[in-house]
Amino acid sequence: MMNGMKSFLAAAAVSALSLSAATAQETPQSGGTLVVVVPGGTPRVLNPAVQSGVATGLPGTQLFASPLRYDADWTPQPYLAKSWEVAEDGLSVTLHLQENATFHDGEPITSEDVAFSVDVIKEYHPFKSMFAPVTSVDTPDEHTAVLNLAHPHPALMLAMSGQLMAIIPKHIYGDGQDPKNHPRNNEDVVGSGPFKLVEFKPGEHIILERYEGYWEEGLPYLDRIVGRIILDSSARAIALQNGEVHMSTFENEPTVVSRLMQAEGVNVTSQGYGGIGPIDWLAMNTTRGPLQDVKVRQAIAYAVDKNFILKAVMRGTATEAKTGVHPDSPLYNPDVPAYEVDLDKANALLDEAGYPMDGGKRFALTMELPGFPGYKAQTEYVRNALGKVGIEVTLRAHPDFPSWAKAMGTMDFDMSMDSVYNWGDPVIGVNRTYMSDNIGKGVWSNTQGYANARVDALLAEAAQEQDADKRKALYAEFQEIVAEDVPIYFINAVPMHTIYSDKVQNPPMGIWASSSPMDKVWLKE
Amino acid sequence: MSDPSIPLPPVEKARSPLSEAWEMFRRNHSAMAGLVILTFIVLGAIFGPMLYPTDPFDMVWAPFSPPGEEGYLLGTDYLGRDLMAQIIHGARVTLIIGLSAAIVTIVIGVTIGALAGFYRGWVEEVLMRITEFFQVLPTLLFSMVIVALFGATLPMITFAIGIVSWTAVARITRAEFLRIRELEYVTASRAAGAPSGKLMFKVILPNAAPPIIVQSALMVGSAILFEAGLSFLGLTDPNIVSWGQIIGSNRQYILESGYTVTIPGLAIFVTVLAISLVGDGLNDALNPKLRQR
Repeated sequence: MMNGMKSFLAAAAVSALSLSAATAQETPQSGGTLVVVVPGGTPRVLNPAVQSGVATGLPGTQLFASPLRYDADWTPQPYLAKSWEVAEDGLSVTLHLQENATFHDGEPITSEDVAFSVDVIKEYHPFKSMFAPVTSVDTPDEHTAVLNLAHPHPALMLAMSGQLMAIIPKHIYGDGQDPKNHPRNNEDVVGSGPFKLVEFKPGEHIILERYEGYWEEGLPYLDRIVGRIILDSSARAIALQNGEVHMSTFENEPTVVSRLMQAEGVNVTSQGYGGIGPIDWLAMNTTRGPLQDVKVRQAIAYAVDKNFILKAVMRGTATEAKTGVHPDSPLYNPDVPAYEVDLDKANALLDEAGYPMDGGKRFALTMELPGFPGYKAQTEYVRNALGKVGIEVTLRAHPDFPSWAKAMGTMDFDMSMDSVYNWGDPVIGVNRTYMSDNIGKGVWSNTQGYANARVDALLAEAAQEQDADKRKALYAEFQEIVAEDVPIYFINAVPMHTIYSDKVQNPPMGIWASSSPMDKVWLKE
Repeated sequence: MSDPSIPLPPVEKARSPLSEAWEMFRRNHSAMAGLVILTFIVLGAIFGPMLYPTDPFDMVWAPFSPPGEEGYLLGTDYLGRDLMAQIIHGARVTLIIGLSAAIVTIVIGVTIGALAGFYRGWVEEVLMRITEFFQVLPTLLFSMVIVALFGATLPMITFAIGIVSWTAVARITRAEFLRIRELEYVTASRAAGAPSGKLMFKVILPNAAPPIIVQSALMVGSAILFEAGLSFLGLTDPNIVSWGQIIGSNRQYILESGYTVTIPGLAIFVTVLAISLVGDGLNDALNPKLRQR
């Protein structure tokens, strides 16, 4: 019996091996046109050096190359930089560029362009923490760039990948015009990436074509990429089902995702979003009324049943998030207080906090209902759940995003659902929510008014810690403290999914989803 | 002189115009059917919440439980809330919005129409230009802007619906005033020294009332539809339940749980149909020319 089991397992292992060997052996076919959906609609500009957001990310990372790329297990890989070294003291990073790399107009890509790009990103990209410690960029020769740092800055590795560090041509953007609104951001784009721009029609499509002078022989495989702009999720689902569109990324509407999981010829995966790191959470304003008391906030966490949201609202498409670091990140600490639903505990904590039940009610709070889709069911659920422990919640509806963003940014709210993206390293996308020097600085800052000296110290130390294990330990402690203080009750990783047809081989499964080069994507006919 | 052998024709008792209208209305079967349905809905809206006290916001059972299962007659929605409770409690809000929006419409419409039709001249010019301005506005868009700007509260939604739908009432009122102000009894009152206010509201308006009443009845129906449209687009107060709002919140689940949308949809359909039937019946009953038929 035991032997039989063993040989069965061995046979299974062998067949699994041969299967993976078979897929690996399959030679990629060149040619073809990949039709994708541009996530989030028309991008403001196609140049990721001056614009964040995944709408810019998809075309931006095809048009412009970054020094590094990341594979699915968070290991940096060579891209425009064929190799790199971090100095022993962590105070400089040296990049060795591909020697035969050229821009789309045939000009060579040099270290001068890297230095110029860093300057532009530092000044114009909204994520200031990425390159803030970079004091200067040395260019000892054409193909070597040295980034000098004021202090060790381990977040730089992730900041040099995906859409975060587009290498842009100095001879185009260095002409004295404002890079943020440069005419060449959307027209006649001269990029450094595997695809060049053919046409950008806002509201309709972005057409990209294979760049013949790309440095890596035989790449990219695709002849063309057509990025279509389809705003309605049901229209996208239909286009995917009838094969009109090959791939769509950042699909997070549970009904659409769960329906397409059943569809023929279409694959659905949640892999590839660790770097983007989007998390849905319940934000609480710790500076107002009863929410100032940590016991009240803990009681709210105990009263909200995360499982209900995961199962009923998210339809099982989302994974639980326990902290502000995305569950796919190597820095995620799952061993923090989880606040399993417990109404008795919630009631006891509220009694302790000095809010006795009086005729079924303890106190009233407001909750924002954002004007964009995706939060209605959660928000209504939280109102009901808190009603059960005597917290009367009134919803405040916002007609659109700016109205909600204003309430959040000026901290004119008690509670709201929110989702915030990690953007790779915590220094880029996590710190902003917890650092006490970033309170109330607009939407997606520390809108909770959360201040904890130990958290500030931990984040400051981790930002400069070069030893990966020590860094992980610092972030682990940070996540524990935040879970104790509950300025935010974390609910789930936003169920972002990539939906692609059987024809699409090698879809972007790194950590940046479609904000990564598609030079190795090919179509099987 | 009178010859007792010839019997006098029986003197028909003079009937009040109201009872005459009621007689007309009663003979109209579809109008009576509409009235019965409407009465039932109104009674349901008033007393339903007492008879069926389940909180429409309360999550009572598993989400998307189809109608009839586990004792939930109309099933549950995406959060497991009782759809029956939502329909019953929503009826009140829906009818209140319909009625109060119609009242807003009548107040604005009758005032403007009466002033324009009575005074004529530059007053009419100005008021009718204003009316035309509101007529050419895209109504749904305009009310969306109002709700988006000033907040999605019940009074604001009512106002937004009223402000875009009064033009028809204003035009009808003006037309009636133009016609009636030239009639002899108006001239007689005027000669007897009746002040303008009295002429307008005591003498002319009661005689102009029938078409306005019909229009107002139909207005309630269209206001309900309007509110449903706004709610469907998400412009609604999330702290209340209305039928349109039930449709709006459940529409993304239409493919797998269609009943969550069709049931409130049917409720709106039946109510608006009933109102229209009553309106049509009123039109026939109050129109003296039709009475000869």
